[in-house]
This record gives sequence, structure tokens and C-alpha cells, in this order.
Amino acid sequence: MDAFRIFIVEDDVFYGEMLRHHLTLNPDNEVHLFKTGEECLKNLYRSPAMISLDYSLPDMSGLDVMRQIKKEHPEIPVIIVSGQEDISTAVTLLREGAYDYFVKDDDVKDRLWNVLKKIRENIQLRSEISYLKEEIGRKYEFRNVIKGNSPSIKQIFGLIEKSIKTNISVSITGETGTGKELVAKAIHYNSKRAKKPFVAINVSAIPRDLIESEMFGHEKGAFTGAITRKIGKFEQASGGTIFLDEIAEMDLNMQAKLLRVIQERELTRVGGNELIKIDVRLIVATNRNLADEVQKGNFREDLYYRLLGLPIELPPLRYRGNDIILLAKYFVDEFCKENKMKKLSITESAQQKLMGYHFPGNVRELRAIIELAAVLTDHDQIDESHISFNSADAAGNLLMEESSLAEYTRKIIRYYLQKYNNNVLLVAKKLEIGKSTIYRMIKEKQI
Amino acid sequence: MPESNKNHYCLDKLIEFVGNDPEAIKSMVNLFLNTTPDLLQTINTSFHDGIAENLAKAAHTLKPTLDVFGVENTYDLIRIIEQKAKRSELDLALGKHINQLNTTMELVFKELKLAYPIV
Ligand SMILES: Nc1ncnc2c1ncn2[C@@H]1O[C@H](COP(=O)(O)OP(=O)(O)OP(=O)(O)O)[C@@H](O)[C@H]1O
Ligand SMILES: [Mg+2]
Repeated sequence: MDAFRIFIVEDDVFYGEMLRHHLTLNPDNEVHLFKTGEECLKNLYRSPAMISLDYSLPDMSGLDVMRQIKKEHPEIPVIIVSGQEDISTAVTLLREGAYDYFVKDDDVKDRLWNVLKKIRENIQLRSEISYLKEEIGRKYEFRNVIKGNSPSIKQIFGLIEKSIKTNISVSITGETGTGKELVAKAIHYNSKRAKKPFVAINVSAIPRDLIESEMFGHEKGAFTGAITRKIGKFEQASGGTIFLDEIAEMDLNMQAKLLRVIQERELTRVGGNELIKIDVRLIVATNRNLADEVQKGNFREDLYYRLLGLPIELPPLRYRGNDIILLAKYFVDEFCKENKMKKLSITESAQQKLMGYHFPGNVRELRAIIELAAVLTDHDQIDESHISFNSADAAGNLLMEESSLAEYTRKIIRYYLQKYNNNVLLVAKKLEIGKSTIYRMIKEKQI
Repeated sequence: MPESNKNHYCLDKLIEFVGNDPEAIKSMVNLFLNTTPDLLQTINTSFHDGIAENLAKAAHTLKPTLDVFGVENTYDLIRIIEQKAKRSELDLALGKHINQLNTTMELVFKELKLAYPIV
């Protein structure tokens, strides 16, 4: 359990200090002492688990403070501790939503412990319920991202579902544009690691002699040009997921190093000797047949078996039947929404034209074709004359601004930070992500 | 009559609260020594000046502190003082009660300063 944050609002320094000492006897309690109602209200964003409020404060009455608290955070239990012994005050306070009412010379200590225990139990229960809800939510979430209704894609959904529940390595294969990266992200963001980083490495995009330091980092002076220490992607992904894209392109030397790191669950930075424990989930992808590469001697067999884990083989789009139309409609709708255009339909003949095509570039290509068509049409529909396969590549370069889940996340965070005056804690709470994630993104200038 | 060497306070209740942690106890004692003389002062001047409301308020604040420090023979005393002040009965009897409180508190301050010298 996280620290149990308690606010004590008490202008009697002595009594306040005593309560603070008392409550910090339990090391799980994080106690904040405020002398005025205003100070307490100003700090509500820290979302205390409980507030112990003195009834008579110098700046405002306990009742007013409580009303204000209840207005903003009705869920926070407020306990009134008072020197007042009159029943009518107590009744009013309880009626207005006080969790409990103590008189200072009652046995405050025991009553306080009891109330704390009850509140803790409630919180535990609540978090269990919200976890269950989250689980249910997650289960269906990736279906909103990965579109498809065909039996072959449904089978993929089943595999994704399985991979979400565990930490098993996942190897994704499929032709270009079939959605390998999309699936990798869907797995991460629906898994228990969702709040930790998803870090992708495109093996084919990194020069051979740099890949080790890219993956595992290096110490200062490890080689010419290593002027500072660098933390590698595996360390950055700590607690999260590493996505090794185009894994088949990795050279044999590097394969051996990767195997060792996976087996030992620890790495050393290039030029260093400290062993660093790592906790990452591995997802790899390739559009080659890895088994063939093993046969040809291009890929280590032992590493192959290590990485294979749960294999997910994405079917080419041409084998997904009516998904072509489903995806086409989805992309049109998205495109129109993004560009604030009115809705476009796809004529029957245009649909037939799409169904007859083999889509070597798969979903990515379909998207580019559709977006070009949406630009070309002057009416409220796309007909076959707007569907052009030849220029798809050109259109692809022009129109396809791939926005990844990570980019999307960044946009949301940026938006919220602006909205809430860069209050990181508040934004973290609103978005239910770790504040450290936001701090990290700010530090890495991703935001 | 020889002075009894028994203290006029008892820290059991305080220890129950803050735990048997010498540091915590010491800091609470210091706080006690820093805050209660002022309250006592307020009680005395308010009585002198006839401002019942302030007297009641100070007594009210002092009440739990005395309880926690187990100050001898003040449990009822401070409550009587508070009640009388609330009823604006600033009479001779109240004056006697306050004097009694003053005497006890003087002793307690002395004893505590001895037991917890400021380094
Ligand atoms: N089932 C799907 N539903 C919605 N969008 C999809 C689907 N499959 C793929 N896409 C979209 O198609 C594009 C290509 O997907 P992705 O980049 O995941 O493919 P890939 O298999 O990694 O391709 P490559 O092998 O070229 O790297 C992305 O914009 C992705 O969002
Ligand atoms: Mg890819």
C-alpha cells in the first residue's frame, strides 16, 4: 500500500504536534500538519486519505472548512476533533457529512486508531473494486484500437488476451504494414506494465556498432564519442516493455549479448563493469521467417527459442475478408473527423475494387489509399475513380503521419498540463499515470 | 511539612500518544514549556481585565494539554474554570481556582525543566 496521507488541521500547536507524533507511530502514515483551514484547503490536491479537523480554527469554522472539503472531494473522510462538548454541534457536523466527531478529552487516541483502521479497510476495498473494473475495461480496450472482425483477426485477439495476462515474451510476425507495432503496443498498454514505459528499438535502423550502447547504455569514455554516461533502452524500459522491431536484422555478435542479458536478467553498460538488474518484458517483431533464418545460420537457435515465447502471426490484409471494408470505413471516418470534414461513404463499386486488391503494403497501404481518396473526392462519397493503387506509395508518404500510442499519450499529457497549470501531481492523478512518468517525459523533453 | 519528591505531572498518557520515544517526548515537553505559560498568562490577565470570553477560550485550549500531561488535580479544575468563564462568573471563587492552577503549574514547569533540561 502507498503511504497513507493524513492531514491534521489544528491551531493548538501542542495538540497538533501530539496527534502528529501519535499517528506517525505507524510508519505507513504520512502526516501533514496545518494550522489554518485555508492551508488545509490549499493542499487538498495532495488527496489525503483522511483529514482530522479541529472545530475551532482561527481563520474559519470547522464546519465551513468541512463544507469546502466536501464540495471538492466528497470522498475524503473528515473527522472533527473538538474541545466542544455540546451535542448539537456534533449532530450538525455528522449530518453535514463528518465521518466522526471526537471530543478532545474523550479517548481520542483509541477512537482515532479505530477510525483509521476502518478507513484503510474501505480504501483497500475500493481499490480492489476499481482494479477489477480496470481489468474489465482493459480486456476490451485493445479491440477499439485494433480493428477487425474476421475469424483470423479474432484469433489474434485471443492471443493478445493471453499475452496481456502474463509476462511471457511475445514474437510477432507478419508482412509489412500488418500491424505488428500496433499489436506490441496494445499488449503493453493493456498489461500490468501499462503505466511503465514502452520502449521500441528498431534494430535495422541503428548502425551495427552503436546498437549495443543503444540497448544497454555506456559509461563515460567507453569509446570515442562517449563523453557522458548513457542509459540504454533496456534500463529506460525498467518495469515496462522493450519492443525489438526487425529483430532478424540483428547480427550474430549482438545476438549473443542479448541472449546473455535475457538469461541473466542483468546487463553491464558498454565500458562498465557494474551489473545492473533489469525487469523488462520483451516483445520482438520481424517480417521475415525467423525459423528460416535459423536454418540459414543467420539467427541463433538458442536465442530464437528464448524469444519465441507466444508467437503471434498477423495475417496479411488480403486474407482478412470483409475487414478490408471495415478498416476502410474506419480510416475514412477517422480522416474526416481529424480534418473536420463531413462524413464520407464508400460506394459499392469502390468497395468491390478494394476487395479485389492484394495490398502488398497491408493495412498501412489501405489507410494511405483511403486517405488519398478522401482528399480526391468532391462529393460526399468515395467511388471507384478515387481509389488508386498506383499512387498509393506517393500518397503514403504525403498523407501518412503515423502517430503512435506514445505520441498520443504525450499529446494528452501536454494538453492536461496546460489545462492544469503544469501541476504534475494533479495531472498524474487525473490521468491515473505515475507522476514520475510525467517528470521523465519532461526531463527527456518529450513534452 | 517536607516537600514531596513526587512530580506533579504524569507522562503516561503522553507516552501512550507519542510512543516511548525519548526524542518525541522531549520535543513534546519543550512544546509544553513553550506554549502553556502563555495560555496561563492569558487566563490570568483576562480574569484581571474581566474579559470572560478570552478566559474561556484559553482554558478550553489548555484543557487537553493538561489532560495529556496528567497534571495533578487539574482535571476538574480546568473544566470548572472554563465553565465559570463561559457563564461570565468572574467571581472570587474563580480567582481562587486560577490561583490554584497557577501554583500547580509553577511546580510542573519547574519539575519538567529539571527533568528535561534544554541543552
Ligand atoms: N487492425 C488494425 N486496425 C487499425 N489500424 C491498423 C490495424 N493494423 C494496422 N493498423 C495501422 O496500420 C499502420 C501500420 O501498422 P504497424 O506500423 O503496426 O505495422 P507493422 O506490421 O509494424 O509494419 P512494418 O513491418 O512495416 O513495420 C499503422 O498506422 C497502424 O495503426
Ligand atoms: Mg513496424
